[in-house]
Amino acid sequence: MKNYFKIAISFLLISVTGCSKLDQSLPGSLTNQQVSGALGAAGVGLLLNGAYSDLGGPFTAQDLVFCLQENTTDEALVPTRGGDWDDNGVWRVLHDHTWNADHAYVANVFNSLNKINFDATNVLGFSPTAQQAAEAKFLRAYALYFIMDLYGQFPFRNPGDNLLNAPEVKSGTAGAQFIIDELTAALPNLPTTGGPGRATQNACKTLLMRCYLNKGAWANRATPTFADADMQQVITLGNQIISSGQYSYMSEYFRNFDANNGTSTENIFTYVNTSGVGANNSGPHSFWCRTLHYNQETSTNPNAGWNGFSTIAEFYNSFGAVTPMVGVTLFNGGNISGRYADTAVDLRIGGRYYVGVTNASGQRPGFMIGRQYNENNTPLNDRIGAPLAFDPKIALNQKEIGANKEVTGIRVEKYPPDFTNGSTYYQSNPGNDVVLLRYSDVVLMVAEAKLRAAAPDPVGARTMVNTLRAARGAAPMATLPLANPANPSDPGTLIAERGRELYWEGVRRTDMIRFGIYLLPRQLKPTDNPRYLLFPVPAAALGSNPNLTQNPGY
Amino acid sequence: MLIHMLAKRLASALLLVAVPFLINAQQKTITGKVMSDKDGSALSGVSVIAKGSKTGTQTAADGTYSISVASSVSSLIFSYVGFTTQEASTGGGTELNVVLISSGGGLTEVVVIGYGTAKRKDLTGAVSSVQAKDFNQGVITSPDQLLQNKIPGLEVTNSSGQPGAATTVKIRGNNSIRSGGNPLYVIDGVPLDGRSARPNFGTGTFGSSPDANPLLFINPNDIQSVDVLKDASSAAIYGSRGANGVIAITTKTGSSGDSKIEFGSSWSVNMGLMKKYEVLNAGEFKSALTKYGITGQNNGADVDPFKELMNKKLSQNYNLAFSGGNDNGKFRASFLGSSTNGAFKNSSLDKYIGTFSGQYKMLDKKLTIGFNLIAGHTTEDIIAVSNTAGSQGNIISSALQWNPTTNFKDASGMWIYPANGAGNPLALLDGYNDVAKINSVLGHISASYKILSNLNYKFQYAINNSVGERLTNIYGFLQGYAGLSGLGFGAISGQKLNSQTFTHTLDYNTNLTSKLSLTALGGFEYWKSKFSNNSFSASGFNTNLTQATKIDIPYTSMLNDGNTQNLPSVYIDPTVEIQSYFGRVGLNYSDRFLITATIRADGSSKFGKNNRYGYFPSAAARWVISNENFMKNNRLLSNLAVRASWGVTGNQEYPSGAATEQFAFSSYNTFVQTVVANPDLKWEQTKSVNFGLDATSKNGRIYGSFDYYHKNTTNIIYQSLPIQPAPPAATYNNLNANLINSGVEFGIGATIIEKSNFSWDLNFNIAYNKNELTNFTQNGQDIKILTGQINGQGVSGTLGQIITNNQPVDAYFLKPFGGFDASGNQIIGNDPGFAGNPNPTTNYGISTTLRYMKLTLTINGGGAAGYKIYNNTATSVSNIGGIANGRNIDKKAYESAERPASPVGASTRFLESGNFFKLRNISVNYNVGNVSRYVKGLNVFINANNLFVITKFSGFDPEVNIDKSQGSYPSRSIEYIPYPTARVFSFGFKFAL
Repeated sequence: MKNYFKIAISFLLISVTGCSKLDQSLPGSLTNQQVSGALGAAGVGLLLNGAYSDLGGPFTAQDLVFCLQENTTDEALVPTRGGDWDDNGVWRVLHDHTWNADHAYVANVFNSLNKINFDATNVLGFSPTAQQAAEAKFLRAYALYFIMDLYGQFPFRNPGDNLLNAPEVKSGTAGAQFIIDELTAALPNLPTTGGPGRATQNACKTLLMRCYLNKGAWANRATPTFADADMQQVITLGNQIISSGQYSYMSEYFRNFDANNGTSTENIFTYVNTSGVGANNSGPHSFWCRTLHYNQETSTNPNAGWNGFSTIAEFYNSFGAVTPMVGVTLFNGGNISGRYADTAVDLRIGGRYYVGVTNASGQRPGFMIGRQYNENNTPLNDRIGAPLAFDPKIALNQKEIGANKEVTGIRVEKYPPDFTNGSTYYQSNPGNDVVLLRYSDVVLMVAEAKLRAAAPDPVGARTMVNTLRAARGAAPMATLPLANPANPSDPGTLIAERGRELYWEGVRRTDMIRFGIYLLPRQLKPTDNPRYLLFPVPAAALGSNPNLTQNPGY
Repeated sequence: MLIHMLAKRLASALLLVAVPFLINAQQKTITGKVMSDKDGSALSGVSVIAKGSKTGTQTAADGTYSISVASSVSSLIFSYVGFTTQEASTGGGTELNVVLISSGGGLTEVVVIGYGTAKRKDLTGAVSSVQAKDFNQGVITSPDQLLQNKIPGLEVTNSSGQPGAATTVKIRGNNSIRSGGNPLYVIDGVPLDGRSARPNFGTGTFGSSPDANPLLFINPNDIQSVDVLKDASSAAIYGSRGANGVIAITTKTGSSGDSKIEFGSSWSVNMGLMKKYEVLNAGEFKSALTKYGITGQNNGADVDPFKELMNKKLSQNYNLAFSGGNDNGKFRASFLGSSTNGAFKNSSLDKYIGTFSGQYKMLDKKLTIGFNLIAGHTTEDIIAVSNTAGSQGNIISSALQWNPTTNFKDASGMWIYPANGAGNPLALLDGYNDVAKINSVLGHISASYKILSNLNYKFQYAINNSVGERLTNIYGFLQGYAGLSGLGFGAISGQKLNSQTFTHTLDYNTNLTSKLSLTALGGFEYWKSKFSNNSFSASGFNTNLTQATKIDIPYTSMLNDGNTQNLPSVYIDPTVEIQSYFGRVGLNYSDRFLITATIRADGSSKFGKNNRYGYFPSAAARWVISNENFMKNNRLLSNLAVRASWGVTGNQEYPSGAATEQFAFSSYNTFVQTVVANPDLKWEQTKSVNFGLDATSKNGRIYGSFDYYHKNTTNIIYQSLPIQPAPPAATYNNLNANLINSGVEFGIGATIIEKSNFSWDLNFNIAYNKNELTNFTQNGQDIKILTGQINGQGVSGTLGQIITNNQPVDAYFLKPFGGFDASGNQIIGNDPGFAGNPNPTTNYGISTTLRYMKLTLTINGGGAAGYKIYNNTATSVSNIGGIANGRNIDKKAYESAERPASPVGASTRFLESGNFFKLRNISVNYNVGNVSRYVKGLNVFINANNLFVITKFSGFDPEVNIDKSQGSYPSRSIEYIPYPTARVFSFGFKFAL
């Protein structure tokens, strides 16, 4: 009996040995409750910084917003070069409008923009100051604007919502109005001046202008309409920005994009990068790496370029017919030879000697056609030893298989590489700020609204455009129609001017839809289907949030 | 005063250790020899105990023993693993020779069953064991390699030929759709964390390197036996960590008898690759240039990069063990020093492992104190081989793509860098320096106390601490690598892993009636694990920017010189704690009916408050038919038993912290929410049933077992992006889906010939497993998780495998290949479709031992079948397009109708049958025997590892599983420029003193 007692006691003892409550300890992160206490008043600012830093990725990388807004238009494409850049066809389908609902980049863009949406919303839950709240709302609106534009709807949460529940979704006119209301509410609490790296009233107004201008297109992308009230809003807001006197045209167009573009007088809102600083650097070298040939760098970096992104001759030609350009040949296919003179009229074409870049690499920012040279003026060859001469002619199916496969396509160096410390930042942590909103866009939007107003003002619009053109060294335009559906790349139109000024800045798809020429046949995109006016809602998002609706045709 | 006390304690501790050396003299000495009935060979290490006393010894290497006993002793008891224990009488004399009868199938062998042991004949569950004598031979860098092809249902895949690389280990199929599907390793009762402290490191250019094996610090020579707990009835005692099966490793301990020293040494050398990847040689390359009309790429030389890369250095291995003990205490100490060279230069694994263990009895043998300390240091020299190298590849792709008509160096001895993006493999050896060092300590101390003769309490505390450091230097003189060339790159990374276990167990056994006996176990365990890592890196250095000015000081010694200081990365895993209660009850009715039931309750801090505890029950029964009366006179079988078991095991292998909302700094001055919490998350659970049959022939020379199992994993922890807008980190939900693994296993062993001069043993095992996901849906839609990254230039972002409904995990999902068009371009269909199973359905192993006189030949081999391998190397590295740029190409492509302009693309073209048979090792052993009074049991051997593989697969090794996971969903059976497998020859000897 005594033994049984011992046995019983032993087993009883062992059953009460438990000690831990098993509450998870977080040695490297904070819980919701700890945030405000641990970080104090500065905490909200840090959360706000988090939302700002979210802008870097989606608006810098070649495979996020850029490729959806640019590769789907006449401004950009990535031909498959032999095996290179096939990537299962993801690039080709964007240009010829044959993508499906499972396109990975379509999903990645949706998620990366919604990260801004979420992190900005989170700021609002931690008692921000009025200005911090306004900045957060501006950042959120910037993301929502793009989600709305690309997918026709956006999910929305209030601060503190249970993240395991599906959020509400706003779309169409209500969605547009929501973004406009948010921006309008934020406006008075934003600073009137300040660096382009932070939200200002002018940045908020520029985004509001975009919303008003596109509102009618969002309501009906196939046949956009433009309410006069909206156009008047665009004009009023634009004139406020212009008359603020804070902005003026740079004498050198590419200074808006180079490593010192923090001092640009045109940039209204940018993502700030610092040369050689990895912290929050969004990797703007991708802007030049994505387009340059492998051999376009110093001898120690023969594979510097990625040799992908190009533009089509049709787009390049849209610079042509209006202004006589010295040393520039128009292309309808076929090879060219010779180099640009430094006297080309339209500065935006580039091809000129650029101090700090050409002497370091031989590169001349802007469009690159024909033979390329290094910093010693030695002509470059491609990897099979043939002359490195960019050929505007691209295979009809965008699949280059000939001996010239490495050199087809006109290249576009919008952002001059950062050579502030030799070639150190050429491929990592360059200092070019990524331009998110720019003054010329404001001017061109006002001009467009003047043409679209119930009582159009074509003279006023043309004057503004011609002032801009004069600043770019281009001849004035005698007439300024919005677009020419019979010839979508007609150089004498406002949409062509927007292309010339804002190419590779992530607005082209929106513009082409608004001007009604997005679905028209163009080079290397013979046919189309109205479903491509919108991107599909990614399958994973659709599966997890029943409030989202798949766009028609997908 | 304090010092005095400490000294006193130290002295008594030392005394404790020294106790076993003090042996008392007795009145009479009995001597003799113990032999095996199988082949008449001497048996060493047989336990010899004087009946009715506490005196014992062990036989020496030549089978002899000498024991001093009281003059009244007349009988000795001989026991040995794998043999029936035998009692023999001296008949009054002082010499006693014994022949032990082998217990075919190892029925009396002791098997680890989790918090205890059992005899094989009493097992109710499916447990397979491998004893040291049956391990794979030759160059073994980690314990899991000892077991390859030895156990039906255990799949051990070498993912990389790099010494020390991780293996993929699966017990009875693929049990999880997430990564972390390796079984739980338990070393002498201590469950490990399963992670390695080697920092992972990767650059955008070279990709991330393969994982390290977490078991490197275990000396393979120290392992006594390995038990694999396969079914739920055996693994359920490990509860939430048992779903992937359990591998229990038992290390050697000292034994009573004379102290002995064992010493072994071996040297090995790489003799080429087991299998080549066929690219063109210089002559063929020239023909190809002519065939395709390519000019300017013939540089006149004739080189073979793989020949240049081959590592010819001698690998060395020294192993020393010292053990002894008496009735009251035993100890064993061992030391391993080894240096293993990989197939390629500059890649090696050096190991230094020391162990010290002991078991001491005191307080009238009521108290047993045990301890075991393993301290290991490993240094790995890692070359630029990675899982996910992008367009610029790595050292293997450089070698495959190297133009065989180009010299590696120019006249002035400088590396030649071709302008075709291939890279120079020898320059990469020269300019890439990556060394990882890990210090690991696994120690445990235990005290067990006999409260009653049949009631035993045991406490064990164990700690496993591993600290890793990795220094990576990529010198700026290497040309052609974006962001590295002309700049240089250095990184210092660290990783720490610490886990602690407290275990209390209570053991009880009693005879309830004369026929019915009971064993019971109750216990509590607390396990805690911490994991952290960090990395600091910089680029843009002032030294080593040209080959001519190369110095030996690495960048990591002057990281502050870096022009660009990259962001430091510091990560600390949320601590994981598991607290468990468990119990086991066994009933044995006259050795005919045996029943075992277990239960474990696990609470884990990984889960939210709402579902913190999980319960894992199991039950099993065994009916020993051969012990029934009607079988007593059976002339065929000495043993026949059937088993049945049912049980539930759990899986909690998913990143910790997912149940708690978390905010963290993402970069300088930026702070964001990182985790969407799911407080309702539940354990993933696997319900399984097992039916088994064991049989042994009457003479014990043939034994086999057969098992059928069915496993159903439910509450699948599904990782997905949270519902947008939300933080980007994954959220985890339970899915009401089923992951089914079902299959059969069969193992047979036979002693075919058994003569005194000649014997022949043969073992064979085979297992079939079917893997399928069902009900894998959400909102009525099939869930489709794409994984299996296909890497290389031109296939970025391509995923080749899918985890979806009604398919095996990671089924191939590829575009169809439609041959070549008239211009020699490959035709690839537009829509991907299911294209086959990457999980081997059949695994088999075969081993045989032939002994003639003192010569023994052992052959171990095995293979897998019923699966496909995706050859990503052929897709994007050795594809035909390379030759236009002067890169070498695949011989298959050259012999096909394809032309160099053919576009690159992933398709079913590169899906190949994985079926293979690999001869793992052949070893010839000559047992010289005793050479002097002191040098005993001298054994010399030669050994060949990876002699050949029979397969149709065109890559380096069909046994391949490069980690091509996507978003932590693993891939399976994809080859991509892997570290090839070397053919290794070794020579060695061992003896005892």
